[in-house]
Amino acid sequence: MDFDLSPEQREIQATARDLLAARSGPAVVREAAQSRREDAALWKEISELGWPGIAIAERHGGQGLGLVELCVLLEQAGAALAPVPLLPNAGAALAIAHGGTPRQQERWLPALAAGSASGAVGAAGRDGCLLAAAAEADVLVVLDDRHGARLIERSQAQVTPLPSIDPLRTYVEVEGEGEPLGGDLAAARDTVAVAVAAESVGVAARALEMTLAYVKERRQFDVPVGSFQAVSHRCAEMLLHTEQARSVLYHAAWASDAEPARLPQAASLAKALAAEAVVSVTASAIQAHGGIGFTWEADVHWLYKRAQMNAVLMGGAGEHRRRLAALLAIAPAG
Amino acid sequence: MDLTFTESERAFREELAAWLAANPPGPEPVGQEEAHFGWRREWQRRLYEGGWAAVHWPAQYGGRGASVVESAIFFEELGRAGAPLPANVLGLLLAGPTIMLWGSEEQKERYLAPILSGQEIWCQGFSEPDAGSDLAAVKTRAVAEADGWRISGQKVWTSIAQHAKWCMLLARTDAQAAKHRGLTYFLLDMEQEGVTVRPLRQITGESEFNELFLDGAFVASENVLGGEGNGWKVALTTLMNERAGLAFFLQVRMRQLLEALIEQARRRERLDDPLLVDRLVGLHMRCEALRLTAYRGLTAIEKYGQPGPEGSLTKWMWSQTNQELCQLAVEVLGAQALREGAPWAYELLRSRGNTIEGGTTEILKNIVAERVLGLPKAR
Repeated sequence: MDFDLSPEQREIQATARDLLAARSGPAVVREAAQSRREDAALWKEISELGWPGIAIAERHGGQGLGLVELCVLLEQAGAALAPVPLLPNAGAALAIAHGGTPRQQERWLPALAAGSASGAVGAAGRDGCLLAAAAEADVLVVLDDRHGARLIERSQAQVTPLPSIDPLRTYVEVEGEGEPLGGDLAAARDTVAVAVAAESVGVAARALEMTLAYVKERRQFDVPVGSFQAVSHRCAEMLLHTEQARSVLYHAAWASDAEPARLPQAASLAKALAAEAVVSVTASAIQAHGGIGFTWEADVHWLYKRAQMNAVLMGGAGEHRRRLAALLAIAPAG
Repeated sequence: MDLTFTESERAFREELAAWLAANPPGPEPVGQEEAHFGWRREWQRRLYEGGWAAVHWPAQYGGRGASVVESAIFFEELGRAGAPLPANVLGLLLAGPTIMLWGSEEQKERYLAPILSGQEIWCQGFSEPDAGSDLAAVKTRAVAEADGWRISGQKVWTSIAQHAKWCMLLARTDAQAAKHRGLTYFLLDMEQEGVTVRPLRQITGESEFNELFLDGAFVASENVLGGEGNGWKVALTTLMNERAGLAFFLQVRMRQLLEALIEQARRRERLDDPLLVDRLVGLHMRCEALRLTAYRGLTAIEKYGQPGPEGSLTKWMWSQTNQELCQLAVEVLGAQALREGAPWAYELLRSRGNTIEGGTTEILKNIVAERVLGLPKAR
């Protein structure tokens, strides 16, 4: 039993943290949010480092590492709110790697791994269709519970942008026949859900970090507001939610790599807890910042907005709790 | 990262499970306190004879030198088998490791073996009426004599004191020194004049705890542990140990309660109620999050010698989840669960103590805020 990142995984984490701290600081994020544009130079650099293909097999042009390593990167990307389509690309690649035919894998994985093709991925269901997308996605993967999963090339797709509250990522709806994915669709859905959970844990961790910095600094009644238990206990709860979500996240990522039979339950647990955690932690961040937290000028709202979108993307907490009930046979399936 | 158990961890679990299957603890005497403690004494005797009494102790003291993961496995399997905690759990988990770290060779020689065998039961005399969460405020006074100390004061929440031969006692030896500095850690013989134990009846009706009155009780000089004035540091060793292995016993017990509740709801055909199902799923999620977070904590202790940020969270998570689980059981089963003597009624009432004993949730949040998050001292 070793429930910790390996030295190599820690190194990946540190590299990502340092690069994104230098290249995706608050000013960059703000500029990207205002212009609603991806940072092409950063994306090129990240692609050259092999991030989008980190979990893709070497024979498909990836680095051949696992979902754990991808989650390490996504956590950092989420924490930095990096204006690059890492989740859409890596997510589309995950879905094709698990759910695609050999021909689809040949066709798309090397390009997605290299960042030369861009992707979009999401789910369609009772509540409509929501994909996280690169700005001009070449390939869109729709994981549809009712009609199976399909892959649609841009030329065949009717893509409707979904201008959301989160200006740091493109979200779209898509229609079009496309071609069906034929592989392990459950694993495709589950791994993408875990990827979204990973980014969400990063968002929550960052919200806590910003809040701590603020409440140590901000003084009222002649003391830092972080010395009031009403504030400090809220911060402790933010840590609790973040760490719980992180525990179940890495359990799910590990299961995908090492013990796939555990993945369905682990993935739904990870996605449900991450969705609940990231929403409550980012909401708490706004509250703990007081009035300033409600202003456009403070940066916490970008986190809150991403949290809301991520909570819905690939199924909300309610949907995953319903699935868990069925998987646990607490409730009849269906 | 590898969340499978190693071959030796699996072998450890299998050997233990086989032993437990061959040595079932027998039915729990319900509602009879003396018989219940007798059951736990007998259980410790059998654990001791089987070589399982203190797996986490080093082999030189009669343990198995088990790793922290194996120790967690031990408590998980104990819980799974429906076995009680051994009678001398405070000696095994708290007094023993504290004596190993701070004790002289003579002290180790004298005290460790009877802790292991259960021959001498230990209790913990830390809390006082005016020193609960603020433990360093203890007022119990120790006055020096030629060959020892005379101790007077009052302790409270002293579990198992009525059965104990020895007490880990924290008392003030220097009234002039700063609060944390004037304390000394004593090993107090409970069988003497000047020691009075009075049971405290708790909301369940039973008496796990006692008040302990000390009126000139004597402790010989050689029964100071860790040196005069070092009591706070020594006590912290005890408190750190308090939170380790037990978490896994409690976590497995909670999982069993949840499974039992799901089964009862199923038999009553209540699982067609989506609101109930969602709450059961929510409890499942929190049990899983707790189990996995506790495992993360084990790895941190193993690799870095101390728990990471997640380590301060598990007791908090367990206590709240257990309370909610018991409350849901009452909602599912109604008045039946509230009948006097009903198992759920006991669990419900007992669970109120969970967020208080071993550090209130409020104090745990303060600890997280100050030590993990680096926030200024709370007001």
